[in-house]
Amino acid sequence: MYSSVVRIQNAFGFFTTVAFAVAAFIAATDLLALRTPSVGVLKTTNVQVVRGRPHYYSSKKEEYAIIKFSLDADLSSLFTWNTKSLFVYVTAEWPSAGASSSADGAPNNQAVIWDSIITAPSADHLANIGPVAMKKLKRSAQGKSIDPSRGKLTLKNQRPKYQITHPTGHVAEQDDVVLRLHYNVQPWVGILTWNQEADFWKWKTLHNGLSKKFSLPSLKKKTAEKKAGGASG
Amino acid sequence: MLSSLQNPRQAAAQLMNFGLILSTAFMMWKGLSVISDSPSPIVVVLSGSMEPAFQRGDLLLLWNRNLFSETSVGEIVVYNVRGKDIPIVHRIVRKFGTGPDAKLLTKGDNNAADDTELYARGQDYLDRKDIVGSVVGYMPFVGYVTIMLSEYPWLKTVMLGIMGLVVVLQRE
Repeated sequence: MYSSVVRIQNAFGFFTTVAFAVAAFIAATDLLALRTPSVGVLKTTNVQVVRGRPHYYSSKKEEYAIIKFSLDADLSSLFTWNTKSLFVYVTAEWPSAGASSSADGAPNNQAVIWDSIITAPSADHLANIGPVAMKKLKRSAQGKSIDPSRGKLTLKNQRPKYQITHPTGHVAEQDDVVLRLHYNVQPWVGILTWNQEADFWKWKTLHNGLSKKFSLPSLKKKTAEKKAGGASG
Repeated sequence: MLSSLQNPRQAAAQLMNFGLILSTAFMMWKGLSVISDSPSPIVVVLSGSMEPAFQRGDLLLLWNRNLFSETSVGEIVVYNVRGKDIPIVHRIVRKFGTGPDAKLLTKGDNNAADDTELYARGQDYLDRKDIVGSVVGYMPFVGYVTIMLSEYPWLKTVMLGIMGLVVVLQRE
């Protein structure tokens, strides 16, 4: 009855039970942390539309929107002991000509123009950056396992990471475009969370995370050849 | 081993017990599959393209129902490329149109370029039906065993050997 095999089985069984209970507890503490993200400024600073090719060997010509923007946001309350990293992204959204938006009010077209991964100090070693940048990143939060100040974002006239287009290849002179800030909290263990539509107990919605409506300009002829090729995003 | 041969009733009971464990695990898996409407509700991360969020061996819980809203930009989804049976975990970065015909483009957070190169020939975007589920839950490291077993096949032999040895040595 009490052979060594049974003992090993019991020990392993107890270990997994405890491990899962601790994991569940850590995941549940997310709910107790206050989340009050806020946006000070989200606006476009310079919008261009150029012609380019999706990749170097393509002969197809498409229109690409290059949306520069300024952002001032405070997401520091999202950093808790169970936050591994924060994925922040800005989308451009616009309606399709003639089509009504979907039943849940989501826009017809949505594309990420800029994103950023903000790691918590204890997840710094996982970031995909060069050795110099890594040293700097690690030094910026030496001795701290949580660094909420990393959640304070200030971008001035930021170039977009992705130049966006539409499957039809036309984006010029598009009206009613808006920028929207989103975030995704990646936990060490537990559920993934995004910016929610409504307040959920201690988690508040992201206020002011929407820019004013703007229009994409008409095609800029001169820069077309220069930009070709580098626009695949 | 010998003792159980001498006692067929005990051998049958052991066999039943073993079958019960197997069928319980299978029922839980399929039950989860029905609840989440996903053919594989739990997946193991196989690549580092979503680092630092997910490493190899992490376990992801998927959800494939659109109860309140459509699958949209920002969600991390698991999809199968047409004609290939390799599930890929990446984030949706573009969505054009709505409903089942919406065109979706994905990209790994850790990758420089989007997934156009990964898709099948002539496929520029994913459809909703290519998606196996959206990631809702995360459990680190638990799935690493499966990666070990598929990368080092000799581990399977070793494990089978140990199990066989235990059965032979164990006499009650």
